[in-house]
Amino acid sequence: MEYLTHLAILFFIYAILGVSLNLVVGYTGLLSSAHAAFYGIGAYATAIALTSLHINFFLSLAAGIIITGIIAFLIGIVLSRFRGDYYALVSLGFNVIVYSVLLNWQGLTRGPLGMPGIPRPEFVFDFSSNISFLILSFLFVIVIYIISRFLVASSFGRVLKAIREDEQAVQVFGYNTNYYKLAIFVISAGMAAAAGSLFASYITFIDPSSFTVMESVFILAVIILGGLSNLRGSILGAFILVLLPEALRFAGFPQAIAAQMRQMVYGLCLIFLMLFRPQGLLGEYKL
Amino acid sequence: MEIISQLTLNSIIAGAIYTLMALGFNLIYGVVKFFNLAHGVVAVIGGYTVFLLTGALGLNLYLSAAAGVFFAGLAGYGFDKLVFLPLRRRKTSSMVLLVASLGVFTSAQAIIAIFFTSEFRTLGAVSAGENIYSFSGGVITQTQLIILISGMLIMLGLTTVLNRTIFGKAIKAINDDAEVARIVGIDTDRITGHVFFIGSAIAGFAGILVGFDTGIQPTMGMGLLLKGVIASIIGGVGNIYGGVLGSFLLGFVENFGIWKVPGEWKEAIAFFLLILFLLVRPEGIMKR
Repeated sequence: MEYLTHLAILFFIYAILGVSLNLVVGYTGLLSSAHAAFYGIGAYATAIALTSLHINFFLSLAAGIIITGIIAFLIGIVLSRFRGDYYALVSLGFNVIVYSVLLNWQGLTRGPLGMPGIPRPEFVFDFSSNISFLILSFLFVIVIYIISRFLVASSFGRVLKAIREDEQAVQVFGYNTNYYKLAIFVISAGMAAAAGSLFASYITFIDPSSFTVMESVFILAVIILGGLSNLRGSILGAFILVLLPEALRFAGFPQAIAAQMRQMVYGLCLIFLMLFRPQGLLGEYKL
Repeated sequence: MEIISQLTLNSIIAGAIYTLMALGFNLIYGVVKFFNLAHGVVAVIGGYTVFLLTGALGLNLYLSAAAGVFFAGLAGYGFDKLVFLPLRRRKTSSMVLLVASLGVFTSAQAIIAIFFTSEFRTLGAVSAGENIYSFSGGVITQTQLIILISGMLIMLGLTTVLNRTIFGKAIKAINDDAEVARIVGIDTDRITGHVFFIGSAIAGFAGILVGFDTGIQPTMGMGLLLKGVIASIIGGVGNIYGGVLGSFLLGFVENFGIWKVPGEWKEAIAFFLLILFLLVRPEGIMKR
């Protein structure tokens, strides 16, 4: 039961990451591979607020989202000038830079030692048990999903889809597409930060190794498998890719090998999807 | 003064390794026009082939190195035939190819780690008791000298092939316009396969040299790949000479950068350089 709860919480965290990344990759057509960076900044900001400043979890969460939003805004200003594969490459570069900062700014993040003893949320209710945390993270997924649903159905969302199909045509109609790209990028990063806050307070320990480029690749695999430009697809993708590798655990492989096999499965997933079903399971848009 | 000459030597050696990565990457990018991220993992394949042959099978060093280069090339050729060629035939966007190459990179790296563990290994047979040369206060090992010389030789060889042979002319034709090249009777699929072999073999060689200089690890591919990509872009993507210039510029900036800030920032410095270039001079030092 404990184990199932654990898997369900992880699934919810990746569902949030998937839905939020889909707003950028699926709806706006920008192949961002920096999502783990914002997930990490959110996690670290929350962890630092909780352990050093001892403020309430929900205030720390808000702090995490705001700080991540500001950093995403600065990164987005640079990123919005690129498109296509250059966008993918530069965003990957930003993930590497953020990872280096988390690893090397030891005064703030304790570097490779990580940050232990992050408390569980407490506000009116006590969320220290896993079951109550499960409910909290489920509520997060619902809120994020509803916000995303609203965004993509709004006129703002229609402009995003139009940018994906033909950015120049949208510019001709007088839209400043860079503002739109920047706005959705910051919103998506803020959502990733919320997932990071949940992760930090659930695991109670974080270190930079959770926020590498490979983690960004994993989140990309989640949304590409589930289907781009379909929010339910991202949730399905998170469900499959979080649970599927657990089968390897029962197959009796040692820990280190199971971790590598997981990577292998994600990689093969990407190859076969690109070869045979580039729109993913429920996708409405192909890269 | 001593530190400056040592830093200069380090920069040149780093530049030579990045040159090897950038040469292959540029060559492949020129014909297929997508960022082939699988290029990082073929370097790892080269390094581990040598590790396996010299360590477990006790084979001669030079023979193993030749085999490593060959297998790296073969791996690149195989990736093209199995994954990229079917995708190109369907005229997919370069983003699909990029994601597929990311998949190849991730899974191949994981497979290597399953067989050889993720531990750091040295190819060390030569590094014990090797000759050390000094130049005006800085020192350079024999391996590093080999890196330098072979890097230059490969660059010269490659430019000769590109400029003087029919094969080279065919590559240039595909660079300019693959569609028209096919119309005038160039077998583009075959040439592209060969380009994948050559480019990947050069990357495999880089992986082997890194193995002798410092050591190998399954995860080293990403670092090597990114350095090659960054060097290619700041030099002017698709331009062989530009790639070499970019590699040495990157080597110098990185090594002189860590003079003032801690060494762990190397990767970040490299990306700052890339982003700076993309903002100020996106076409690179030398335009195609």
